[in-house]
This record gives sequence, structure tokens and C-alpha cells, in this order.
Amino acid sequence: MTVLNIGPALSETVEFFSQFRCKLYFIDLFDDLLELTSAADHTASPQQLLSESLQFPRDTRFDLCLFWDLFNFLDREAIAALQDILRPHLHSDSLAHGFAVHNRRTEQCGKVYGIQEMDQLSTRPRPAALPGYSPYNQGQLEKILDCFCVTRSVLLPDSRLELLLRTTLQN
Amino acid sequence: MAIFDRHKNKETPPKAPEPVLEEPVATAPPSPTLSPKTARSIAMIGPSIKIKGEVSGDEDLLIQGQIEGTVNLKNNEVIVGESGQLSADILAKTIKIDGKVIGDITGTENVVISKLGNVRGNIIAPRVLLEDGAKFKGSIDMDPGDVAGKSAPQGAKEPTAFPSQDNKAPRLDLKSG
Repeated sequence: MTVLNIGPALSETVEFFSQFRCKLYFIDLFDDLLELTSAADHTASPQQLLSESLQFPRDTRFDLCLFWDLFNFLDREAIAALQDILRPHLHSDSLAHGFAVHNRRTEQCGKVYGIQEMDQLSTRPRPAALPGYSPYNQGQLEKILDCFCVTRSVLLPDSRLELLLRTTLQN
Repeated sequence: MAIFDRHKNKETPPKAPEPVLEEPVATAPPSPTLSPKTARSIAMIGPSIKIKGEVSGDEDLLIQGQIEGTVNLKNNEVIVGESGQLSADILAKTIKIDGKVIGDITGTENVVISKLGNVRGNIIAPRVLLEDGAKFKGSIDMDPGDVAGKSAPQGAKEPTAFPSQDNKAPRLDLKSG
């Protein structure tokens, strides 16, 4: 199993996946948000910036992508660029996980995520708020995402949505 | 599809866990699983030493200095101490990182990145522990087949790291509804 975790590597996530034969890629794009957000004075396009951060061996195919709440911080252009980069590394059964919001006025969560157990995530507070927060609701996100479709969504108590996604790509 | 299924052809009823967002769960940092250092001697590269090239040998090694190149101690233990700074690939039986490493790390038994450790590179090992506070960017390959193939000399075979877990096939099944 090959997993892409868009976020910091947390001990519990590594511990959880250590029970499986798998390969984990930890790429914390949240570190690059200042450059990626639309408010930034871009010296490089989102495509260029993401291409530098997301470099994978040619034969890498992700079974699972953990986006967490990344989409809430990227504009449409950056999300499109992200999908362009990931597309060659997905297969027809690739799955993904992410967070959106039910109400766009929902405040930023300010947490980093890990996997504690099979059915339990762990969260830790971020040291500082992230730039570029402009969340999407499920309908908006589904229109933006062309590599993935939402297969299940769960409304969380704080008006956020937990999304399970499946790739729309066909082999 | 069950994504955590290592036996993709085996027909078993899938489990559909409810996604749950939990508050932080305090967990004790995992203990390093390196072999105990009792009276055993260990070679050391001191904090003022800088090496460019290949470091190899047949004894355990504590690195407090700087190395640029490769560290090849495939039958031994390597510890990168707090002041250790490596821009090097490391191959060893067990590896503990308390310092900074930029490079690929291959541990035939396990790799531990302590809370002080900072690693940028790719790790290959059947068992990897990341302590709370550790910094890591890169990939972790915990497929023991790969580590055996990539670290062992041609023709040699390494023991499988997860022989007894093959029947344990936890799964996360994403279903609509």
C-alpha cells in the first residue's frame, strides 16, 4: 500500500501504518501555503511551486491520499495544479480523505491530523493560524475536484465536513 | 475496496468504520527499540570531526560530528547523536537519529527518529518509530521485502519482518451512504 500524507509526519501515523506493509510519503504542503495562497505575490506559479514539493518516483501509485484540510487553503488554480501533479500517480481504486465545511463561515480548525487507530484520528493544535483560509462546501469542492468524487461525507459538530473520496480515473 | 488489505484476493466481509474526529490522545512516546548497550563498546566520531567519503566497518558507531558521503555498517548499530550532522546515506542494522540527517536511511531491523531528530530523506526499514517532536520529510518504506532486497548483498536473504501478521488484515473500507 502506498500512502500520501499531505501534512506533518506525526508519530501516531507512522506507528499506525507500521503494522502494514506500506510506503508512506510525508509532504507538508501546509509549510508552503504562504507561497501558494492567492494573497501571495507569486514569483512562481502554483504548478511550479507544487512540482518542487511533490516529486515522486515515476512508478509511484497512491492507494490513499490524506489531504486533511488542505483544500480549505488552496484556490482553484492551486487545487487544479495539485490534481495535475497527482493524476499520473493515481489508479482507478485510489482513495482519499479530506475536510471541507458545511458553512463557508466556519472558522479555521487550526489543527494537525494523524491516525491513531483504524477508526480514530488524532489532532494536535497548530502553533499558529495558517494563511489563505477560504474553505469550500461540499458542492463547490466536488466541482473543483476532477480526479476525485465524494463517496461519503459526515457532518462534524463544528460545522465541518469529513469527506471520503474515490478517484474518478479509469485505468 | 479495502485499502488496508494485504490479501487483495481473499474474500472477507469488509468493515466500514465510521469516521470519527477525536480530541488529542496523549500517548507516551514509543521507546527506542535499539539493542541495549550494556558493557559493549561503541566507536565514536566526535563533535569536532568532519568526514567526507565513506564510513564503513564492523562495529557500532555513535556519530557526533559531521559526515558527507555514506555510512555503511550493515551489521551494526548507528546512532547519530544530538550534535551529529550528516549529509549522507546510512545503511545499518539499527539506526537511531538524535541529530540531523539529509539522505536516505536503510535499516535492516529498525530506524528510530527521536524527538530531537531531524531527517529529510527516504527511510527503508521493516520497523520505523517516529517519536513525538521528531521532524521528518520524505518517504518511509516499511515493506520488508523491499528492505531485504535493497540492503542485502546479492544472493543473501533477510528474514521477513512481519511473518506472523499476514493473517491480520485490517481494512478501511470507504462506502457511500
